Amino acid sequence: MASLLKANLRQADRQTAVVTLVLATCLASAAFAETKAETRKEYRFTVGRNAIISVDTQFGAISVKPGSADEVVVVATLKSNNVEVDQEQTGNRVEIASHLLEGADQQAGRVDYELLIPPDATLNLHSSSGPLLAEHLQGDLTLEGADAVVNIRNVQNCHVHVRTMGGPITLTDVANGHIEVASISGDVRMKSVTGTLVQVVSGRGKIFYDGDFGSGGDYRFTTHTGDIEAIVPADVSADFRAHSVIGRVRHDFPLQPQHSRFPVEAGRSFLGTSGKASSKVVLRSFSGKIRLKQR
Amino acid sequence: MTCSEVERVLPEFLDRAPDDSFPDAVHQAEFETHVKSCLACADLVADLKLISSAARQMVESEEPAPRVWVRIAAELRAEGIIRDPVPTPARPALVPTAPRRRWSAVWLAPVAAALLAAGAYVVSHKPVAQVVTQQVSPVQVSPVQVAPLQEATPGGAASPVTGANVVTPAPETAHAQRSEARTNSVRPNPTKPANPEVAAAHAVAPSPSVEDQQFLSVVSTLAPSVRATYESQLQAVNADIRETQAYVNRNPRDADARQHLMDAYQEKALLYQIAMDRIQ
Repeated sequence: MASLLKANLRQADRQTAVVTLVLATCLASAAFAETKAETRKEYRFTVGRNAIISVDTQFGAISVKPGSADEVVVVATLKSNNVEVDQEQTGNRVEIASHLLEGADQQAGRVDYELLIPPDATLNLHSSSGPLLAEHLQGDLTLEGADAVVNIRNVQNCHVHVRTMGGPITLTDVANGHIEVASISGDVRMKSVTGTLVQVVSGRGKIFYDGDFGSGGDYRFTTHTGDIEAIVPADVSADFRAHSVIGRVRHDFPLQPQHSRFPVEAGRSFLGTSGKASSKVVLRSFSGKIRLKQR
Repeated sequence: MTCSEVERVLPEFLDRAPDDSFPDAVHQAEFETHVKSCLACADLVADLKLISSAARQMVESEEPAPRVWVRIAAELRAEGIIRDPVPTPARPALVPTAPRRRWSAVWLAPVAAALLAAGAYVVSHKPVAQVVTQQVSPVQVSPVQVAPLQEATPGGAASPVTGANVVTPAPETAHAQRSEARTNSVRPNPTKPANPEVAAAHAVAPSPSVEDQQFLSVVSTLAPSVRATYESQLQAVNADIRETQAYVNRNPRDADARQHLMDAYQEKALLYQIAMDRIQ
């Protein structure tokens, strides 16, 4: 009786093993087929100084880093055969675009791009879904996306234009820039961002700034319902003006009062100078809260 | 008749048809004599007449029934000008040289520009409002009161006697306010105003304007989740505009609020531009 039971158990084990093997084979085949559908393509373009590079994709990530001074390298990873990459070079201008084919959706139509470009090149990136990343560059940057997460870091001496609908935007270590950021509802975070003009507008997103407002810059942060928060060091040198139409405004920072034509209403606005007032900082909201804090 | 008396009868003067006369002939003669002799009142009357007539034309020209737009959209689809989101199988050149379905988005650029212009007009058209507010006792009018008053004068110019300020709303705003007066239905709103003072402006979502209907028609060709995002963004932007407009109506001298109104219109223009980029 016992031996019969043992034999049955061994047979059950064998059946389980066979079923597992078949399932594993099926899964491996499916994964292989999937991998086969994903294609990686590389394009190289020889360019001169101040090249203009544009990448436009409906769905997918774009990541850009500095490379050789006279060459643009584009690596595109196509997620299916329902999308292809169009590429064109006219002189110093390089244009890359994803081209959706029949049946392409957000998954099948996705193309991820990785670019190595001359550091001084002008860059235009557009992806609805994103994310978008640009780093260690010195040319002018324009990044646009509907819901794309936008990340810009370690760039200097350039114009930076960013537009999103709801995608959050992060700028880190941007020096001596001319920066214009607009989002309808995306949050905007800036850390160590300085420039001659730093203009940030977000309708319902929050604006967060952590830095020293540089020297001689014009900083304008505006929201409608979103909050604005700025954290600055004790030795910051700037003229501050903050005003919210119906939101709360406060600061825990020692500011020297200054004469102004603008009326100051307690709890709704403040006005004052710190240090030598080398930069000008204007914080405005309609109903969002505004806060200036000392680091 | 004095300036203040002219202001008192001004709504009556504006509301009457061009060939109508005052019920009181003496009153009318005094009114006309004063307006002829007083430059400030003459300017005020001329401005208000212009605004009133322009706004009347706006009402007539910008409020076709929704079914008209649905029919137009159907015809455009039938003619192939608007297509469902089927990517082209052919291999064209780079996207910038051969944009697909550009037709369906052609209107967005002028509409975005018009939005900005409308916003700029609302923000910059301060002199008339200032003239009136200086001459009228500063009665505060709640946002609930403003819409019916503007409904009463189809031109969108509220009666100065009521204390509401003469503001010519941009088409979208005028439409929104008219719709607010018409409908009491409360729809879910994607934004939650922090301040209860503006909750009223957010609470009522009016029916979409003509531009918004066109916008919604175009984004309806996108994937459902994407379309929902655009719709909710549009609702939220419109709520911002209504909220700011209501505040500006109550505080016409608040320059910062007027700038925020302009910003809100720019926000809407940005939404249109992003949608245009998406569907090209």
